[in-house]
Amino acid sequence: MNLIAFIASHRAEMATRLGEHVVLVAVSTLIAAAIGIPLGIVAAHRPALSRPIVGLANLAQTIPSLALFGFLIPLPVIGGIGTRTALVALTVYAVLPILRSTITGLQGVPPAVVECAVAMGLTPRQVLSQVEWPLALPSVVSGLRVAVVIGVGTATIASAIGAGGLGDYIFRGLAMVDATVILAGALPAALLALAADAALGAAGQLADPRRRSRRHVVVLAVVAVLAIATAWSGRAAAGRADLVVGSKNFTEQVVLGELLAQAIERGAGLTVERRLNLGGTSIAHEALLSDGIDVYVEYTGTALTAIFKQPPSADSEGVFTTVQERYAGLGLSLLPKLGFNNTFAILVRGDDARRLGLTKVSDLAASRAWRAGFGYEFLERPDGFKGLGAAYGLSLAAAPRVMDLNLIYRAVAAGEIDVTAGDATSGLIEALGLTVLEDDRHYFPVYDAAPVFRTAAMLQHPAAAEAVRRLAGRVSATDMRRMNFAVDGEKRDPAGVARAFLDRIGYAQPR
Amino acid sequence: MLQPAVQFADVSASRGGRPVLRHVSLVVPAGATVALVGRSGSGKTTLLRLVNRLLDPDEGDVLVAGTSTRAWDAIELRRRTGYVIQDAGLFPHLTVADNIATVPRLLGWAGDRVEARVDELLTLVGLEPAVFRGRWPDQLSGGQRQRAGLARALAADPPLLLMDEPFGALDPITKNELHAEFQRVQRRLQRAVILVTHDMAEACLLADQIAVLDAGEVIACDTPANIRGLADPRVRALLGLA
Repeated sequence: MNLIAFIASHRAEMATRLGEHVVLVAVSTLIAAAIGIPLGIVAAHRPALSRPIVGLANLAQTIPSLALFGFLIPLPVIGGIGTRTALVALTVYAVLPILRSTITGLQGVPPAVVECAVAMGLTPRQVLSQVEWPLALPSVVSGLRVAVVIGVGTATIASAIGAGGLGDYIFRGLAMVDATVILAGALPAALLALAADAALGAAGQLADPRRRSRRHVVVLAVVAVLAIATAWSGRAAAGRADLVVGSKNFTEQVVLGELLAQAIERGAGLTVERRLNLGGTSIAHEALLSDGIDVYVEYTGTALTAIFKQPPSADSEGVFTTVQERYAGLGLSLLPKLGFNNTFAILVRGDDARRLGLTKVSDLAASRAWRAGFGYEFLERPDGFKGLGAAYGLSLAAAPRVMDLNLIYRAVAAGEIDVTAGDATSGLIEALGLTVLEDDRHYFPVYDAAPVFRTAAMLQHPAAAEAVRRLAGRVSATDMRRMNFAVDGEKRDPAGVARAFLDRIGYAQPR
Repeated sequence: MLQPAVQFADVSASRGGRPVLRHVSLVVPAGATVALVGRSGSGKTTLLRLVNRLLDPDEGDVLVAGTSTRAWDAIELRRRTGYVIQDAGLFPHLTVADNIATVPRLLGWAGDRVEARVDELLTLVGLEPAVFRGRWPDQLSGGQRQRAGLARALAADPPLLLMDEPFGALDPITKNELHAEFQRVQRRLQRAVILVTHDMAEACLLADQIAVLDAGEVIACDTPANIRGLADPRVRALLGLA
């Protein structure tokens, strides 16, 4: 699908995402200005305070955005997932440029001018408002421009914690390995940054005393308020749905998220909001705990090891029971398994497999030194890379490269690395001509897919829980691989793929 | 006898912990121009800053209109004291008219009264109102800036004017013009003026009395004619006669 066709077919959704993006940037910049400008004024007048204040803002700026989201999610009030947390993080990033430019602007006011103002009998407040502030304003506006341009870029990451915005397309495109979808997010974001910069540039012209007139300032303020209000109402018009379905940020999870959402819509007749593309297991889990989402599909082995910090196990029923009990203690309900086990699959290029006769993971040990690359999560998990080398006696050419989960398949196909660990159900395995090596020493534990429901939400909407239960045992590994391939290989829309699957298994409204 | 406009009574002051003025006593009569002369660092500017409470003395009292500056509300005191510095210190973001109108507006004057006052003052200092009202400070020559600065200092009709080397940055011809202008204005307005300068010729031309400062002390205070006749080598050095 080309970009123009994609945009044309997603017009309404793109308008919503653009609106979310504008609101995220505008609101966070306004809050940052409300914090940064007064702090800057204090710092400019008290040099002793200036160093610690600027130092703190500098420090905040250096925290990587995903790490910042990670810190924020468990916190009360400002934490959780969604718009609020994203606003907090974006505000943290926007404060520094505004603070700096305020200090620079105020310190640039000639001392003789300030002395004259004092000597003429202006009160300290009047010196600030009538002399220092107007002279510092052009510098403050330039700081706002920097903050907004940074904000437009950083806000794309807000998608990882379910705050929406144009980042949804970027993450979706990465998950689907589809440059068109990535561009559908990246291009409007770039245009938005340019437009915002130009608009603030025009505002900066108005801040120039030679051109300033109160009428212009009023007109500009009205336009800005209208733009933000329009974007906000566009968001609000979506309204509050009965339930919120989440998913992590890879193709299978997005498809499963659609599957749950459509099953609830079809089977229970409820409205569903989708928070697909959450940035990892811990974010999805925290989202459940903080009421950010009501249900998502987790894998039993992942819950056991990554969430409950238990040693991995290959006993499918035992793992299910343990995880179900642990979840119950947190007010969460594990519903019956969907039917497939998404364990890790060790992948190599098809060419290599045929040439070297590789069929099992143990075959790797006999051959040469391999260049490996893995996702962040696989490297950290006890049932991931840490035990793999020991179990199979693998020799690697170098320490494994850390790569984004969505890029590792491509990296193998392109020959950048030779071996990786992917999802056994990934559609890209077929799409990119990769070969799955058999886990002949049964190193990888079970990862049975099963929906996790907030018990409170389930009690409130029993029909929704029933609609999800009806999927139990209906999704085989083959089904899952086909659906993943339909999205990753055939570039079809996850929602359409889920719909076709429900049609095929005859999922309909209960009689 | 008229009450003095300013009286320094045994004043000592320091800046940044360093003593600058030592036991200075000096009277500025109403309507008179007193010049403070001396080398750089002799304490001229510090003495000036005591008058409008940009600085408080360590010891002694500065009486303005018979009241100690410590008893004056600083804001009120400054609004009735005109202040002119080298290169005028005009607000770069305001037009000439708005610069001059600053203090009258702070005092709550009505709009048309402020406008009339601005035009009156521009005319007084030799700037054509129609031409200069809307100009920006950086569009003025040095001499024009100084005239505008003088107009701004006079705006609320203050009984007292403080001038810190107001003509220091001007070329000789412009300086002569402004000297004449100042004398004309002062003949009309008869304000008490304290003029800080390091130029003895300027002091002799403009002042009724000259106070000579050296290392934080007033070593002489007299009319220009008498000052010229003094034998003190420090005064003669300042006059260029030593």
